[in-house]
Amino acid sequence: MSKLTTGLRAGAALALAGATMLAVAACAGGGGTAAAADSNPKSGNITWWGWTPDATNATKLIADFNKEYPDIHVTFVSKPIDSYDSVIGPAVTTSQGPDVFNVAPGSANGGVKTFQAAAVDLKPAVEKALGKDWKSKLAPSGVVGLSVGDKVVGLSAGAVYSGSIWVNKDIFDAHGLTPPKTLDEWKTVCATLKAAGQGCFVQGAGQWAFDMDTFEAIMENIQPGAYVKASLGQKKYTDPVFVKGMKIWKSLFDDGIMQNGAVGLQQYPDANNAFMSGKYAMVMMGTWYTQYAVKDSMTAAIQAAGVSNAKPFTMIPIQFPDVAGTGKVGNMFGDADYGLAVSQKSRNQAAATTFALWLTTSQAGQQAVANTLNDIPSLKSVQPAWDQIDLVAPAAQKDALKQYTATAGAATQPRFATVSADLNTAFQNALIGVASGSVKVDDALASLQAVVDKQK
Amino acid sequence: MFELRSRTSRITVQVLATLIVLPYLFPLVAMVQGSLAGEGLGNYAKVFATGVVPTYFMNSIIVASSTIALVYVCTMLAAFGFAKLRIAGKELWFWFLLLALTMPEAVLLTPLFVTASTFDIYNELIAVILPLAALQVPFTVLLARSFFAGIPTELMEAGIIDGANVMRVFWHIVLPLTRPIAGAIVVLTLINSWNAYLIPMLMLNDPSKQVVTLLPSFFTSQYTNDQTGVLAAAVITAVPVIAAYLLLQRSFERGLAAGALK
Amino acid sequence: MSASPALMHGRVPRSQQSPMNPRARRPRPTAFGRGLPWILPALVLVIGMIYFSIGYTGWVSTLDWNGFILTPSEPVGWANYAAMLQDPIFWTAIEHTVIFFVVTFTVQTVVGFVFAAIMHSKVHLAPVYKVIIFIPTVLAPATMAPVFRLIFDANGTLNGVLDAVGLGALAQPWLANGTTAMIVVMLVTIWQWTGLTFILFYAAMSQIEPEVLEAARVDGAGAIRTLWSIVWPMCSGTTIALATLGVIGALKTFDVPYLVTKGGPNHATEFLGTYIYQVMVQEKHFGYAAAISVALLILAVAAGVLMSRRNRAGEES
Repeated sequence: MSKLTTGLRAGAALALAGATMLAVAACAGGGGTAAAADSNPKSGNITWWGWTPDATNATKLIADFNKEYPDIHVTFVSKPIDSYDSVIGPAVTTSQGPDVFNVAPGSANGGVKTFQAAAVDLKPAVEKALGKDWKSKLAPSGVVGLSVGDKVVGLSAGAVYSGSIWVNKDIFDAHGLTPPKTLDEWKTVCATLKAAGQGCFVQGAGQWAFDMDTFEAIMENIQPGAYVKASLGQKKYTDPVFVKGMKIWKSLFDDGIMQNGAVGLQQYPDANNAFMSGKYAMVMMGTWYTQYAVKDSMTAAIQAAGVSNAKPFTMIPIQFPDVAGTGKVGNMFGDADYGLAVSQKSRNQAAATTFALWLTTSQAGQQAVANTLNDIPSLKSVQPAWDQIDLVAPAAQKDALKQYTATAGAATQPRFATVSADLNTAFQNALIGVASGSVKVDDALASLQAVVDKQK
Repeated sequence: MFELRSRTSRITVQVLATLIVLPYLFPLVAMVQGSLAGEGLGNYAKVFATGVVPTYFMNSIIVASSTIALVYVCTMLAAFGFAKLRIAGKELWFWFLLLALTMPEAVLLTPLFVTASTFDIYNELIAVILPLAALQVPFTVLLARSFFAGIPTELMEAGIIDGANVMRVFWHIVLPLTRPIAGAIVVLTLINSWNAYLIPMLMLNDPSKQVVTLLPSFFTSQYTNDQTGVLAAAVITAVPVIAAYLLLQRSFERGLAAGALK
Repeated sequence: MSASPALMHGRVPRSQQSPMNPRARRPRPTAFGRGLPWILPALVLVIGMIYFSIGYTGWVSTLDWNGFILTPSEPVGWANYAAMLQDPIFWTAIEHTVIFFVVTFTVQTVVGFVFAAIMHSKVHLAPVYKVIIFIPTVLAPATMAPVFRLIFDANGTLNGVLDAVGLGALAQPWLANGTTAMIVVMLVTIWQWTGLTFILFYAAMSQIEPEVLEAARVDGAGAIRTLWSIVWPMCSGTTIALATLGVIGALKTFDVPYLVTKGGPNHATEFLGTYIYQVMVQEKHFGYAAAISVALLILAVAAGVLMSRRNRAGEES
């Protein structure tokens, strides 16, 4: 037998092996064993995958859950945000994946639009728990954001709202300044602080999700509701209101409100640490930042920013300044931070559903969520137990925080729920491009409109 | 290399070396400084307080050593075959191997998962070991092949004349000469399997099966990013590899010397 | 025995290729038997694990699919490839890859080579130097990325140092400007991989007989001439191996540009690897990402073929 034939035979064998594997794998598709039959809703071992909450809070939530359901053993597995979609995609197609997994609105990480085929429709379960009028008992953004059509893909654990700015009151007091309410006041404050060698406002403008927050805040100030309408194709991005908004966005960079080199930084950890270590006096964060008004959490956060002898400072939220001079302030926007979905391949669907419903619809579960201060609970009747929470400076903070939470809870506009994956990318190019001066305002807006036009 | 006769030339070379190495040292110092910022050694205590360090290290050691073993066996056999034996379409097969290096890891995830679930090894360490080994082998075979080619064929011929078959020649004559390149392969594979992130993240769900690259995620979550913890975890993770490198440094250099040249 | 680049690739030495050489006809290697069973484990492992992925990716590149296994996909034939060829970001990424490869390869090679030569001479604290330059290779890029952002920030350490030494005019927001962001990406890559180049050259140089260098010195050649005319050609095998791996690495590069600059600002540091990731994970166009991956594969093959042609041409000259 000649060498060539041998070689060819070997090659053919290998190719056949490869093709066979392809075929087997393609047929295997769903992989693993068949989906679970009925299991006990009050006991079992379930796993919960999510990019949030962090380990400490997850432990707290599970401990509270176990007070009511001691026989359901929940293991939280953290799957970081950047790789969440890559790992959850394959995992939820087998029964060795999670029983409960995080979902989010729109096309964000764990977006319901992407993963809805893997989730059990939770409508029957939530109707059983809260009655036929369950929709009226939960925050609307969470209900709408986590449903696809008629299917309740996930139930919101809590929402986060943006459109606010957090200021370091101690720095402001030290320089005799009050938080700005207009664009001119903002410029003055920043000029004063800069002259004193103190950083004013910091943003990790390289992380465009937060740039979108700033832009939406500007638009809500100019014309409430315009931002969301445009993302749904009900308004054109080339409309003059958006031109005005984009120009104001650009001016934040040109007029020195955004720190030098902002587009090179990420919000987390760079801008966050810069604010926590006192290098800057203002940062644009939303309701999720409330947790740092708590003494222990703030001390830990300052330590995490690399400051020794960490001493918590007084941090209060203010509404986004009236940059366009329209007087329309206080319009926050947000949607479900995360929701829980139950995997169709779960072997313990009943127990998984119990947990999901407990966290998202029960008084006890939602109170536990509220007390982490990370999210604003979805169940309308629940408020954080402010009196039990150890704030850094209760006198200065408690009322401000209560009002802040109320304003947020009354918000109607979504944040990411209506933004498709392609629009998300278009915003990245538009906002960072305009900020760095490499894209013209008109071109940026036209590109946004082009994406929406394609989606129709 | 150069006999530095005069004092000036000695000083020049020393200064030059220092100038070259300073930019490399600088970020390392920044990293250690960052890991000590704030709480100093308390940051390291924080990492150990997560309670998972022993488990994660153990899993990483299992993954790394299995990967190294698998890579070593495949590489030695293949390099010998490519360098010394008759194979039809040899260069073609060699290129097949090299091409496997071109796939970006993110793209590999879904098909690797399909493979893993087909063979029902999902959530097992083997599902991590096999792909990691497969991604190392092309590079190590490239390095080892030239090393094997440099082993004088006369030595092998002598063995054959003495009546041994190819396998015995390999085992008794060739393999003992490969210690230098084995050192190289061990260190390179160790680094890559120890630092593997995406594939273990995909394949391992059980907290008891996670590896060290997941340690920093204890300090990052959606709205927090504890840099001091991350950096302390990174230093802790790097220490074993640096120690292994130091230990194997000599054999590593000898191995690559012979491999790169002859 | 002197360096023989030909043997690096296991090919027949030139002396035995020449038709004038009476030994040219002897087949090398000699009759040790069939090699196929020996290379089989490696081939099965690699082809089994990776080639399925390559085939899978090729198939996906003909689909319009968001990548989630349970979501149905739509076959679109060559549409993804057509879109790719008209995609300005795709071509920008390739442009960046070329620049990136040329710069990083050159600098890494020069620095690694010179440093290896220095380390072979009598230098104090040589082991310390050798370890310092190698540690970056061991560190995971994910953990170093925020450190580098701090260093290169507008108010960061680098600008601080520049101010201190009087070069304050050079201080700028390195990461916010497209051109300088690219420089940062290249610098970080060089920082990370010079250790490998160094180790390889160091090893290659230790094979050089001292007599050769002594002869050069006796002939009056200075250090630089010796390096250039004698040491460098003797290390050419190493250089070629590094170039091959360098090309594939440059095409695939993901970690540094993604983690430090996120491909920005505004795609100024976009590479094929980061673009694939963005398209696949962020935009959920798995089919399109697969098409770009296939393009990457083809480019790697083309580059590899070019390399072996140059290698062969170099031998014949």
